[in-house]
Amino acid sequence: MTKVSNHRNIETSDPHWIEWIIGAISAVIVLAVIVWIGKDGIADHDASPDLEGIVLQTEERSDGFQVIFEIRNIARATASQVKVRGEIKDEALVLESVETVLDYVPGHSKAAGGLIFQQNPAGKQLTVRATAFDEP
Amino acid sequence: MTIATTRRDFDKRKFFAGIARGIAGALLFALPMLMTMEMWELGVYMDRSRLFLLLLANIPLLIILSDRVGFEETSTWRQAIRDASIAYALGIVSSAPILVAMGVIKYDQSPHEIIGMIALQAIPASIGAMLGRSQLGGQSNEDDNEKDSGGDDGNPVQERETSYAGELFLMAVGALFLNLNVAPTEEMILLSYKMTPWHALAIIAASLIVMHGFVYALSFKGSHDLAEGTPSWHAFVRFTLPGYLIAGLISSYCLWTFHRIDDVGSTQILMTVVILSFPGAIGAAAARLIL
Repeated sequence: MTKVSNHRNIETSDPHWIEWIIGAISAVIVLAVIVWIGKDGIADHDASPDLEGIVLQTEERSDGFQVIFEIRNIARATASQVKVRGEIKDEALVLESVETVLDYVPGHSKAAGGLIFQQNPAGKQLTVRATAFDEP
Repeated sequence: MTIATTRRDFDKRKFFAGIARGIAGALLFALPMLMTMEMWELGVYMDRSRLFLLLLANIPLLIILSDRVGFEETSTWRQAIRDASIAYALGIVSSAPILVAMGVIKYDQSPHEIIGMIALQAIPASIGAMLGRSQLGGQSNEDDNEKDSGGDDGNPVQERETSYAGELFLMAVGALFLNLNVAPTEEMILLSYKMTPWHALAIIAASLIVMHGFVYALSFKGSHDLAEGTPSWHAFVRFTLPGYLIAGLISSYCLWTFHRIDDVGSTQILMTVVILSFPGAIGAAAARLIL
């Protein structure tokens, strides 16, 4: 407990045991956070993003065929302004190409978005991949 | 006393002065957020269940805040609930016209967008209204005189003990207060992306040092002293570390509410929480001095 006296606050010298318990739990959690972040600081030296595009689902919507995708970043470094291009191909011929930009794909994280095609990608080759990024 | 407690001694002038103070507090605390682009956008797109949870969580927060730092030391729970509702309503009615006046809310927008924006802004505005009524000179002159002259008649303001839970609650409010200002902005996540883990560790150390220094080392009005013979690490373990943990939890909640840590990896989440906890920790420390 804290004693407020004449606008000067004096912490009591014999605190309740619960204050020590909460203090100890807090110390453990703060230490755990420090260790977790420090561990990544020592172990993870990947200085550039590593991006991988994955198609999650395709469905027909009002304006065409909507492809929901996910860009995964398996490196520690974050990519910003990630350009994503989706292409529908028939053999080597590109039938349709759609682009979008994701604001951020943080390190060891993923970001999702959607591409809308005029043609149905079913039965054709659909690829979604990151084509460019900035460093934040 | 700003608002009279019974119908008999109801003072119209004091009542409206209290309302005006509430609006002043709401403006003072919420204007930075009313002028933040991300707050308008969040009002439009944020997940409605998270907004609903935030709106619900604000009710007990306002009630406890009213009981704890309200303008009357002896207020009952019924009065606390009444004051909390007034503060919440003031938060809504003071942020709505400002959003309209600034052209953020237009007549052709859907009710979904308009209500979302006002509801989100009402949170900081209502906390501001509550704090404004207590901090912008809540007591009348007579009360101040009493405080200065009294002392041996057991005046509660002269000698009162704040409970440990009360101190932790104040720290939570202070942390929430500074956090809400910056949590919605893109800068918080951008900073965490720019930082390496080593930067994050330096920020943790800085937060703890500044937090402890704010309350114990610097001689601000309302500073805390240790009882004689108590080693200084006692206060560090009992107050500063739990306070920092509270700032971290409040930061996590704000970031989750504002969709800033969805789909993000664990270390990256921790780093965002750490950077947001920096202002949170200072807010928590400042609250112990001010409130």
